[in-house]
Amino acid sequence: MFTKILFATSATQDSDHAARVAFNIAGSYDAHLDIFHVPGVPSRGYSQVVVDVKTKEQVDVDDDYMEWVKEEIRTYYAKYLENGLKYDITVAIGFPAREILRRAKDTEPDLILLGGSTGDEEQAVYKKSVAGTTLQKIARSARCPVLVVNRPAASFWGGLSNITFGTDFSKASDKAFAFAMKVAKTLDCELNVFHALDITSGATGDMLSQDEIEQRIREALRMIRGRYESRLKELKHYSMDVWEGIPYIEIVKYARDIHSDLIVMAHHSKKAEQADPILGSNVEQVIVRAGCPVISVNR
Amino acid sequence: MPEGKYCNKTPINTPEEVNSLLSDTSGNQYYTEMQSLEVDSDLLWATIQKTLKSRLRTWLEICAHCGMCADSCFLYLVNDRDPKQVPAYKIQSTLGEIIKRKGRVDNAFMRHAMEVAWAQCTCCNRCGTYCPHGIDTGIMFGYLRGLLYQQGFVPWEMKIGAGMHRAYRAQMDVTDEDFVETFEWMVEENEEEYIGLTVPVDVENADIMYTVNAREVKHYPEDLAEAAILFHAAGENWTVPSEGWEQTSLAMFAGDWAACKMQVESVYAAMEKLKPKRMIGTECGHAHRATVIEGPYWAGRENGLPPVESIHYVEWLAEALRQGKLQIDPSKRIKEPVTIQDSCNYVRNQGLKNATREIMRHIVEPGYFVEMSPNKEHNFCCGGGGGFNGIGLFRKQRNKGLEKKRDQILATGAKLVLAPCHNCWDAIRDLEEEFKIGIRWSFLKPIIIKMLVVPDHMKPEE
Repeated sequence: MFTKILFATSATQDSDHAARVAFNIAGSYDAHLDIFHVPGVPSRGYSQVVVDVKTKEQVDVDDDYMEWVKEEIRTYYAKYLENGLKYDITVAIGFPAREILRRAKDTEPDLILLGGSTGDEEQAVYKKSVAGTTLQKIARSARCPVLVVNRPAASFWGGLSNITFGTDFSKASDKAFAFAMKVAKTLDCELNVFHALDITSGATGDMLSQDEIEQRIREALRMIRGRYESRLKELKHYSMDVWEGIPYIEIVKYARDIHSDLIVMAHHSKKAEQADPILGSNVEQVIVRAGCPVISVNR
Repeated sequence: MPEGKYCNKTPINTPEEVNSLLSDTSGNQYYTEMQSLEVDSDLLWATIQKTLKSRLRTWLEICAHCGMCADSCFLYLVNDRDPKQVPAYKIQSTLGEIIKRKGRVDNAFMRHAMEVAWAQCTCCNRCGTYCPHGIDTGIMFGYLRGLLYQQGFVPWEMKIGAGMHRAYRAQMDVTDEDFVETFEWMVEENEEEYIGLTVPVDVENADIMYTVNAREVKHYPEDLAEAAILFHAAGENWTVPSEGWEQTSLAMFAGDWAACKMQVESVYAAMEKLKPKRMIGTECGHAHRATVIEGPYWAGRENGLPPVESIHYVEWLAEALRQGKLQIDPSKRIKEPVTIQDSCNYVRNQGLKNATREIMRHIVEPGYFVEMSPNKEHNFCCGGGGGFNGIGLFRKQRNKGLEKKRDQILATGAKLVLAPCHNCWDAIRDLEEEFKIGIRWSFLKPIIIKMLVVPDHMKPEE
C-alpha cells in the first residue's frame, strides 16, 4: 500500500498524534519513513539567521545547529525508532510548506503525513508572513495523497475496514476516488461514497424548500451512481449516500455514524490563501473535526 | 597581524571558500581576526588617488557643515538627534579623515569606519535630496565601503554575500540549474489551475526578459509562479535566461566593485545573447539600482544604459493595468486601509513614484489608500536598506533604525503594507517581529493575482 512515507513533523507535542499514525503505518506496511522537519524560518534579510520554531529565538544556522536538531528529533522519537524501522531524519531551513513540497518533489513519497497545527496562531513562527496555512499549500500542490491527523481521536490507524469518500463531483474528487478504491481493494474494506448537499444560503443563494432539497438529493445520488457505481461493483461492500446540511459537518457526522476509520476527500480549494484561514475549505474543516484520519488527494 | 584565515583582503571566489567562511558561525573568529588586520595604507592611498573623482572630492570640499542634512537622516532622528549621526559628520569623520591623512589610518579607525559605513548609513540617499549643495552622502558611503572592502574591513555577511556573487553569480547559493529547475517546478505546480502556463527559457527575441532575486528561488519560489501567471495572463511574449537571471547585487552593498561588474555583466551577457526588446526585473529595489542604474557604469558602457531597455516590475505592472492587459475585478479590490512603502532605490533614485500610485488606483477601492508621511522621494528608508538587514554585528542598530518606519506605518492606521522591494519587505517583516504592531505586508504580485480577472483561455475546464 505504502512504501515511502514523508512524515513532516514539528517534533513537538503538536505532532504527537500524527507521529503515532506515522510510525504505525510505516510499521504496518514495512514502509520507509522520511522524518522531515523545518527547524527554522529564514529571517533578517539575506543573513544566516533563522527564527527557531521551538524557542522562537534567532539562531545562526550552521552544521552544528542542524546536527543538533536532528539529534533532538532522534531523541524525541526514540521509543518509535527501535524495532528495525526504516527511516531517515532530514532537516531543512525555509518556509515549511515549501520545503515539505520540495522534499516531496525530490523523494517522491506515496504519502505525505502532516502533523496538526503548530498551535498559537499569534506566536507560531511558521505562520509568519506566509499567506495561507502550511496545510492549504501542501494539500493544494502535493502530487501524492496527504494524510493529516489533527485530533487525538483521529490518531488511530488500525486495520482499516470502513472508508468514507466525500465527493463534490470535481475532477480532483475523481482522483480521490481512485485512491479510495485502491485502498479499499488492497485492504478489503467497505467504501462509502458520500456527498453533502450544501444548503447554506451562501451556496444556494436562497432558502430551499424541502421539495427542492429532496429533488437535489435525488440528482446527487444519480450523479454518484453514474460516476462511481460501475467501479464500486469491484468491491464486496460499498454504499452511496447524500445528506443535506453544512458539508463539512455532514461528512464528519456521516463518518462517525458509520464508524469509518478513514475519510478520503479532494482538496480543491482553488486559492492557497483563503480570505479567512480559520474557515478554510471543507476538507480543512473535516480535518479539524474528524474522529479519524483524513486523506486529501488532488492528483 | 598579517591576514587572518577568514578576515583578510582576499575576496572569496568559490563555493568552497563561501562554505568555509560560512562555517565560522556568526563570524566570531572573523571579527576577532579583524581586530589585528593590518591596514595597507599605501594601497589605500593609491586606490583613492586612482578612484576618487572630482564629484566626491568637490562634495567633501564644499560641504558647509550647515547641518541641513541632519533631519533628513532617519538614523539621526531615531538616535535622539545624536550629532554623531549627522550625515555630514559621518562622512567627514570617516572618508574625509582617511583622505586628509592620505590613507595613514590604523586598524581601530578602519573598524570604526566600518561601523559608520554599514550601521550608520543605508545609502538611502535621502540626505542628498535636502543638501543645499546637492551633496549625496549615501553615494560617498558607497565609495567608502569600496575602500573598506578592499582592506578587508567589511561585515562578515557582506563578505559572504559578495562571495556568493563571485561563486554563483547570485546572492545565495543558487546555481543556474537550480534556477531553471525551480521555475519549472513552480509552473508545474500551477499549470492545472492556469492553463497554458509555461516558463520559456532562453527564448531569443522575446518582448520581455525577466530577471529575479535569488531569494525567490531559494525561499519564496511562489514568486516565480506569480510572475509567470501575470505575464501569461497579460499575454506577454517573455523569457528567462538560464544564465544571468540574478538581478541583485549584494556586492554593491559590500563595496566589492569587481564583483559588481562580474554580476551585472552576467545579466548584460544574457540580454545580448537573447536580444529581448525589454528587460523587466522582479519587485526589488537594489536589484534595479544595480542592474539598471549603476550597472552600466560598472560595466563600462559608454551610454550609461543597459544593453536593452530595462524597467522595474512596477513600471510593467502599471503599464499592463493601464493598457488593460491585466484586468482587475473591481469587487475584489482592497477594501481596508493600505499603505505603500516607496523603495529608495527606484523611487528616490529613479523617480518611479507615479508607477506605484497608478497601480494603487487599480487595486485599492477609492478612499482606502493612505500615503505614509513623508512619501515618494521624501520617504524614509525602510530601516534595513544597504545591507543593514542582514548584518548580525549591527542588528541592534538596525532594530533601532526600524523605529522610524514603524512610526510612519502606525501613523497611517493601515494594517496592510505593500512593499514592492525585497529589502523593504524584509525590514517591515522584521519590524513586525520586533515591535508586534499587528500589520501584514506583501509584494504586489500575490495581491494582484487574488483580484485578477483570469482570461478564459487560462481557466481549467471544470
